[in-house]
Amino acid sequence: MNRINQKLQENKKLLSIYFTAGYPNINDTVSIIQNLEKNGVDMIEIGLPFSDPLADGPTIQDSSTKALKNGMTTEVLFDQLKDIRKTVNIPLIIMGYFNPMFQYGVEAFCKKCQELGIDGLIIPDLPVDVYHQEYQAIFEKYGLINVFLITPQTSDERIRYIDSISNGFIYMVSSASTTGAQSGFGEEQTAYFERIAKMNLKNQQIIGFGISNNETFTQATQYAKGAIIGSAFVKHMTKHGADGTGTFVKTIQN
Amino acid sequence: MRLKVCGMKYQDNIEQVAALQPDYLGFIFYEKSARNFDTESIPELPKSIKKTGVFVDADIDIVIKLVNKHNLQAVQLHGKESPEYCDDLKNRHAELVSASHNLEIIKVFSIKDEFDFSILKPYENTCNYFLFDTKGKHPGGNGYTFNWNVLNNYPSTKPFFLSGGLGLNEVEKINQFVNSKASKYCYALDVNSKFEIEPGLKDIEDLKTFKKNLSSILDNNKEIVMNYNVDEKGYYGEFGGAFIPEMLYPNVEELRQNYLKVMAEPEFKKEFDQLLKDYVGRPSPLYFAKRLSEKYNTKIYLKREDLNHTGAHKINNTIGQILMAKRLGKTRIIAETGAGQHGVATATVCALMGLECIVYMGEIDIARQAPNVARMKMLGATVVPALSGSRTLKDATNEAIRDWINNPVNTHYIIGSAIGPHPYPDMVTRFQAVISEEIKWQLKEQEGRKNPDYVVACIGGGSNAAGTYYHYLHEPDVGIIAVEAAGLGIDSGESAATSVLGKEGIIHGCKTLLMQTKDGQITEPYSISAGLDYPGVGPMHAHLSKTGRAEFMSITDSDAMEAGLELSKLEGIIPAIETSHALAIFGQREFKEDDVVVVSLSGRGDKDLENYIDYFKI
Ligand SMILES: Cc1ncc(COP(=O)(O)O)c(C=O)c1O
Repeated sequence: MNRINQKLQENKKLLSIYFTAGYPNINDTVSIIQNLEKNGVDMIEIGLPFSDPLADGPTIQDSSTKALKNGMTTEVLFDQLKDIRKTVNIPLIIMGYFNPMFQYGVEAFCKKCQELGIDGLIIPDLPVDVYHQEYQAIFEKYGLINVFLITPQTSDERIRYIDSISNGFIYMVSSASTTGAQSGFGEEQTAYFERIAKMNLKNQQIIGFGISNNETFTQATQYAKGAIIGSAFVKHMTKHGADGTGTFVKTIQN
Repeated sequence: MRLKVCGMKYQDNIEQVAALQPDYLGFIFYEKSARNFDTESIPELPKSIKKTGVFVDADIDIVIKLVNKHNLQAVQLHGKESPEYCDDLKNRHAELVSASHNLEIIKVFSIKDEFDFSILKPYENTCNYFLFDTKGKHPGGNGYTFNWNVLNNYPSTKPFFLSGGLGLNEVEKINQFVNSKASKYCYALDVNSKFEIEPGLKDIEDLKTFKKNLSSILDNNKEIVMNYNVDEKGYYGEFGGAFIPEMLYPNVEELRQNYLKVMAEPEFKKEFDQLLKDYVGRPSPLYFAKRLSEKYNTKIYLKREDLNHTGAHKINNTIGQILMAKRLGKTRIIAETGAGQHGVATATVCALMGLECIVYMGEIDIARQAPNVARMKMLGATVVPALSGSRTLKDATNEAIRDWINNPVNTHYIIGSAIGPHPYPDMVTRFQAVISEEIKWQLKEQEGRKNPDYVVACIGGGSNAAGTYYHYLHEPDVGIIAVEAAGLGIDSGESAATSVLGKEGIIHGCKTLLMQTKDGQITEPYSISAGLDYPGVGPMHAHLSKTGRAEFMSITDSDAMEAGLELSKLEGIIPAIETSHALAIFGQREFKEDDVVVVSLSGRGDKDLENYIDYFKI
């Protein structure tokens, strides 16, 4: 069974952390992943940086620009990850925009992911219908789970469609925003979280965007299987570097 | 699918095969072939059958003579005939007194296990069909099939004939092929040696069986008509689509579901037309540029979009989109701008309609386009600097998209060119199509014909070009010329010639040609003209480039600047530097004396004065 599915069966709320590969330093990738696992994080999204990250706010834009300047590329990332499964057991997901994968070749990219022990992909600008028609067979051939986003504006009908195509979890974007936007959830969000929880979807949900501390993590996981933290962790990296991982994770879990 | 039976030789046998009603009958005019047709005449055939002459590097005079003599409707070229040869042949045939129809030209290419499809491109414009045959000892008729999987990578949308070793044993294989992607543009099956008793003598019973076994395929004459417009899924050939994050799906989907409906409403049309007339000042003149024409010894017409309110074609689109936004109940407008032309055109229509307007503009562009920034502010817009990435147009577009993600309900995003996710490229094109709609009747008045020989436009994202081409896309007698900015030169590393330097990829929500690193990171283009300084082209143009429907040229900064100065001196019109690129082609390319060439004069040069002053030390 795919590590993501195994993890989703565990009887606990999951903490998933996003970081931009190649940031703050080009060679931090492996140590960040190892530190995150050591400190009890359940799942990791490794951000493959892109020059034009449309769905991201300033923090991740910045880390992406710097990572690219540091020399991060698809090849470099794959090379850094070549022995990752010798030391790391939690699910690893690559999150990135479609163009770099498209240039690498979608099939070649998926094949490489399988070789390295990557469990899934999140590609915000690959629409679900294009995935369904053109790429699903390839992803499945290499045992990869593709994770789709839903937002407060996504219609019930479309959520059902996305649920039917998904085979891992659904990434619930907390509010209409780019990454790293707000602090705290209001009534609008909780109403949306409740609405989705009541839909009884076949896939469990993990909430992301706007989760930055213990309070928002707790709020989100009241309604969902887990939560994803991105910008807040990237900001912490900016200040404290790859070794600051442990202190960050503790502030969330306490 | 059609059927062609090739290598006919004997009178009785020709009549027997004709009775089976294939779509094409082929006659080989090549002395070295065992099937060489050396009989005086071809018997009378049913009109539905196209008589096809097959030639191998024959002299054009001889081809023309035989086409004339046997009244051939098609020629199949099996040798090393060049694109110019095909052109020549077509033109020579069109001049024939007896030419009551177009001569179909089928160019043959031989394939074994692989094939470099890029060699097809120069033939796209002149040939009607391609024919793929097995590479072997002889030019055709080798008797075995090639690896049809190669056709999975067929990059063109030109219909083709499948040939080489097709016989009764291949029926199953053909069935599989027809159900595969590789057959998408397969137009006909071409059979020959596998149905012969001896060279040139066809086995009627075998042919009958073949036709019967493949009847479901052969009776289904799917029409492969080239379409240069968007299809129902939002694609131009393989380009276009909507590669957007889920957060944008509801907005884009709302637009997709409504744009055609709204545009078709009589009330909408009336309001759009009225504003174009009374506010923009349309129709814009189609002006015969006499002195420019004399200089280049051809007939040059200028479509005067520079005379529109705000000084460029951009306002045609913003008027359309602001009316669309109002119909959809939006109260807040966002836009991106590079040079500020689209920003000004958007701020203008927002003032006109009393809607809030936010324009994203790269920090660097704000510094170099101060007058347009001031105009937008006077018109009541808020100009927000884009501080990310390279801080120019590409990043301004990213910022506008991010704004839309954060404001999904009340906001409409007015994109300024024929780019972005479907339906934007099509919607913008339709609003700009007024340009070619007017050219049609204006040219008719002045030249007595609606169709020029060429339409020419510069391409940034491609909106003035899309509007100029729109009503001519499916008129094969109208040549389309697209002009990109070469910057300091194609190989200089400082260029914006996307059709040459770009590769297929995804930018701002659509699949198109774009300039990028080999890793798929989008790169910064360069051009002296801020309006052409975009790393992609609209998906329609990517398709026009890939299919060869349009001829793409690239013009350097210096050639463009000279052309701008020349137009000023010869015609008393100072063009925008974007437009100067389109004008510069006359120094680079020959036209015939009686060719009618219509150039989109997309904008006026006021905004560029400082640039012209600096460049020419005026
Ligand atoms: C006068 C003029 N022409 C052409 C362009 C290029 O845009 P498009 O390719 O969308 O027509 C611009 C863009 O700013 C412009 O201002």
